[in-house]
Amino acid sequence: MKARALVRLWSIFGEPLWVFVGMGFPVLSSLAFSLLYYSIGAAGYIGFAVLGGVMVSFWGNVLWSMASQFNWDKQEGLFEIYLTSPASISAILIGMSVGGIIGTVPSAVIVTVLGWALFHPAVNASWGGVALTFGLTLASLYAMGMVLSSLYLTYGREAESMNEVLQEPVSMLSGLYFPVLGGSSPFPLALQAVASLIPLTIGMDALRKTLFYGDSVAQVWPDMAALAVMAVVLLILSSYALKFLENLGRKEGTIAVRIR
Amino acid sequence: MSEPQLPAVEVEGLRREFKTKGPPVVALDGVSMKVRQGEVFGVLGPNGAGKTTTIRILSTLLLPTGGWARVMGFDVAKEPEKVRKVINMASGAEKAGYDFISAKRNLWFFSQLYGIPGDVADRRIGELSERLGLTKYLDRKFYALSTGYRQRATIARAFVNDPKVVFLDEPTIGLDVMTARSIRDFLIEEARKNGRTIILASHNMAEVEAICDRVAIVDKGKILTEGSPEDLKRSLGAPALVMEVSPPQAGFEMLAKVPGVKGFTSSIEEERGLSTVQAVVDSDAAARAAEDAVRKAGLKVVASWRKQATLEEVFVALVGRGFKEREEQDVV
Ligand SMILES: Nc1ncnc2c1ncn2[C@@H]1O[C@H](COP(=O)(O)OP(=O)(O)OP(=O)(O)O)[C@@H](O)[C@H]1O
Ligand SMILES: [Mg+2]
Repeated sequence: MKARALVRLWSIFGEPLWVFVGMGFPVLSSLAFSLLYYSIGAAGYIGFAVLGGVMVSFWGNVLWSMASQFNWDKQEGLFEIYLTSPASISAILIGMSVGGIIGTVPSAVIVTVLGWALFHPAVNASWGGVALTFGLTLASLYAMGMVLSSLYLTYGREAESMNEVLQEPVSMLSGLYFPVLGGSSPFPLALQAVASLIPLTIGMDALRKTLFYGDSVAQVWPDMAALAVMAVVLLILSSYALKFLENLGRKEGTIAVRIR
Repeated sequence: MSEPQLPAVEVEGLRREFKTKGPPVVALDGVSMKVRQGEVFGVLGPNGAGKTTTIRILSTLLLPTGGWARVMGFDVAKEPEKVRKVINMASGAEKAGYDFISAKRNLWFFSQLYGIPGDVADRRIGELSERLGLTKYLDRKFYALSTGYRQRATIARAFVNDPKVVFLDEPTIGLDVMTARSIRDFLIEEARKNGRTIILASHNMAEVEAICDRVAIVDKGKILTEGSPEDLKRSLGAPALVMEVSPPQAGFEMLAKVPGVKGFTSSIEEERGLSTVQAVVDSDAAARAAEDAVRKAGLKVVASWRKQATLEEVFVALVGRGFKEREEQDVV
């Protein structure tokens, strides 16, 4: 588990170019939204955009590296090595998550520093609440990544295109750049309900409350409880899914995808 | 004699079918075998014989559809977690590793899947690399290693957890003679000195002959025969007959009717203007009868001699055809 995290870091920082490529997207999109809010005078939203840029880095990491990495491993024959070892696949995925989180930190820091330097968004934070919600959001986000990974194992390339389909609507729905839950949401209630099934949505909402409105832990506890429940449920789900899919693969002979 | 030891691998009536769009493919059709601890056991057979399927079932990547298999006493279908603690495997077709990290860190990472303490892992990686001639290349990124060194690293990985049983699927495929030889020497040493059991799937006769204590010859999902390479060769009875025949031609069906001829292969040598025929015979008389049969068909036997039997001839004798012919059939 620790080892998997290290491998992740070694390969990310072994090729510094990748770090920059990976950072480019969240930085640019965050700046674009910030500029937009700035120009229409919605200064109150600028902080949201910067926060969105930070979170989109992690979201992108979950979608693009973590979930699809396992599929890649499978094609390279690495997955067989995991399976024939006594290590649990869940532990390997958790290691991958930790590595992914740490690997994404530089990008998140750059967005934060740039955002603050350029736009000085007004912050009114309860830092304890921020830290807790941030941690819980990441936990549930990466737990979701683990579930996605297991899907990748069965559906391989189809899942890859699912990723592309998911990326934009989820970024929208989950309110990476603007609030989607509550009174100021541009979405109807039904859509808000759907959106809140995505851990990122609740996480973003809670983060905004704690970071910009000074809400304390006591005030955002329902969000936090929801995030914690989601993280646990998703974790359990992924561990069952992995076991189930491993057995299915052993039965159907689909663990190896090589064509000879 | 010491008390009977637990077999490293025990397989009984193993079957595996694959669903396909057409009729199901029977990859294994009732395979049984027993491998002692510390033995190098070869599974030899042509393409599609079921070698990889056997290895996959034994290494818990695939479930059998019939029969059972045990590794160090653990059932591969019901107790995969226990099997996984005592095995490792490597495939020559894969040479898997993370491209952007060094060979050493790759090895270290894989050792951690087995929960080996860091210092023990480091020491073992050092030793294995030294013996496999990999030490100089340990700090290279995996993608920057040549095929040969990547394969050495893959072999090192397969031993990094001090496994009791190691499964190797064509470990020297695509390697030059020198690299293949050093890997073979390493494998022999692992079995002889460290008492490791090695199951080697291969279609390379020379390799199997060089390092295996015992061989099972498989074809179409069945074991045709089993024994030490020496015994198998001796079982043929007499040295093989080689004939050079002109004019060159492909068909030597007349040999099939000669009593005592167990099988044959032939090839055309255009530039020399003749055909070479190798026949597996059970006696000297059968060899003479084979030559007569060729002459009676109106062909000239330019030269003929006898040759010490090889495993290939054992195979030919068993199925009446050679590996090459089988491969050509598969292409069609
Ligand atoms: N996952 C699968 N799905 C369908 N058929 C399969 C699958 N795996 C193997 N087979 C079939 O089972 C048979 C045995 O295959 P296997 O890979 O075990 O042969 P092999 O002896 O390893 O051959 P090679 O020398 O080509 O590696 C072949 O006919 C093959 O096409
Ligand atoms: Mg094979």
